[in-house]
Amino acid sequence: MRSLRYVLAGVPIVALTFAVPFVNSIEPRVFGLPFLLFWISAWIALTPAFIWAIGRLERRW
Amino acid sequence: MSAPFVALSIVAVILTGTIAFALFSVRRLKMDPQQYLVGGRSFSTLLLWVLLAGEIYTSFTFLGAAGWVYGFGAPAYYILAYQACAYIIGYFALPAIWRIAKEHNLLTAPDFFVNRYNSRALGVAIGALQFFMLVPYVALQLSGLQHLLTIAGYGVVGSAWSVAGAFVAIAFFVFTAGLRGTAWASIVKDALVLAAVAFAGIAIPIAFFGSPAAMFDQLIRVHPQMLLLPSGAAPKGAIWYVTTVLLTSIGFFMGPGSFNAVYSARSESVVRRNTALMPIYGLMLLLLVFAGYAALLVVPGLKGTHVDESFLLLIQHYYPPWVLGLVTGAGALAALVPASALLLAAAGVFAKNVLGDGFRVATSDAHRTWATRLLVLVVAAMALALWIAEPATIGELLLIYYNGITQFAPGVFAALIWPRANAWGVAAGLATGLAIAIYLTSTTISLWSINPGFVALAANVVVMVVVSLATSKPRSAQA
Repeated sequence: MRSLRYVLAGVPIVALTFAVPFVNSIEPRVFGLPFLLFWISAWIALTPAFIWAIGRLERRW
Repeated sequence: MSAPFVALSIVAVILTGTIAFALFSVRRLKMDPQQYLVGGRSFSTLLLWVLLAGEIYTSFTFLGAAGWVYGFGAPAYYILAYQACAYIIGYFALPAIWRIAKEHNLLTAPDFFVNRYNSRALGVAIGALQFFMLVPYVALQLSGLQHLLTIAGYGVVGSAWSVAGAFVAIAFFVFTAGLRGTAWASIVKDALVLAAVAFAGIAIPIAFFGSPAAMFDQLIRVHPQMLLLPSGAAPKGAIWYVTTVLLTSIGFFMGPGSFNAVYSARSESVVRRNTALMPIYGLMLLLLVFAGYAALLVVPGLKGTHVDESFLLLIQHYYPPWVLGLVTGAGALAALVPASALLLAAAGVFAKNVLGDGFRVATSDAHRTWATRLLVLVVAAMALALWIAEPATIGELLLIYYNGITQFAPGVFAALIWPRANAWGVAAGLATGLAIAIYLTSTTISLWSINPGFVALAANVVVMVVVSLATSKPRSAQA
């Protein structure tokens, strides 16, 4: 279970750092946003869910 | 009534109203160092949330995020990305820091080092260092305030005196109310900033383009390069982006003010819940991205520091003075509320770690409270002097502060996960990291556009590990 926590923590961080050069494009547009901006915004919106899931695994809430 | 008068009056009402509200909220408080610096360790999830938001979303966020979008385009997205990463790191680190602080009754950020590395000298050195790093950061808030007041005065009414006046008011406010006052002022500030940002990011694109999506259609036609990161090793390109997000997210909670905020929580779970909640607030920055792009299309051609004024100038040109007054008033709070937290942190480290631990001055509770309070005024005066002598652009100063403040991270994280680290290692690593960061930011040497602070951080870690291993094992931390 310990390693799953770190995977959950790592996914948004990788998505917002190392993955970004690979999604550096305007198309496809989502909700009118250029893809790069959509990608970053979507991962920020998802981050609380990932932190919440880690907390669940640790039985913090 | 003239337009500058209307706008500036609204700003003045917002500032005095907020100060009055916060002073009223803390009127019955008895001040001791615990209450003054860390709010008596009693803050609820909500109060900590507004305090953290109050400290983090500064006038740099308000002006600089939109300004970076206006000036550089997509590289500005780093400001959105690093905060989300920082909260993930914070989930693991901050509850542990809170626990140690609670157990040992810690008051300041350097106290954490004193306790973990069992070295008062390290605390004195770090305290002095943080003190001198905080002064420019406070001055930075003043330059943000100046932009705002210049615009609210339509460039007609001189702003230097009003900046100084507002700042002196805040210094005396902190003098009186301490951290809890800052937290209460943050409530007003957060609500107003949220409203102002929603207006700038949603109402403006709709008014000028029909919808945010239509605004992006136009950007793709006119400025497609502003929607993408420059490739690879180009300045502010992909490599710069990745290293900058990593660096700034590691450094995010290393500021002395953040330690005070974490210490102020009522419990460990209050801290933990906040790390999960804070990214939601970070989505607000997306609206500032919209505001920056809208300004790029509507008021093009701004240069230099005027870039930071982009969306405010748009409001100034196209909206009535009362709208401008409300938005700049919110912005002024975004400069002054974080400034109050920074004043408090700087005064706290100097009173506790340098005067108290270093020189055995003002060690009783009553004396320490008064020493801290007087130092609040001293720091304010120093920041004001610096701001008058050395005004530079907002974004650049923030990066210099972050490059420096991040160098405390190896010592903090090692204290949590690597028992072999000792005071010599931490001090040597810190000195190396700071020297490299300062050298690299003051020259134009560039290794594939890697953020210079990142290079410095890597050297810091290596030196810390090598020196810790080469010197004697640490005595066990104070139990």
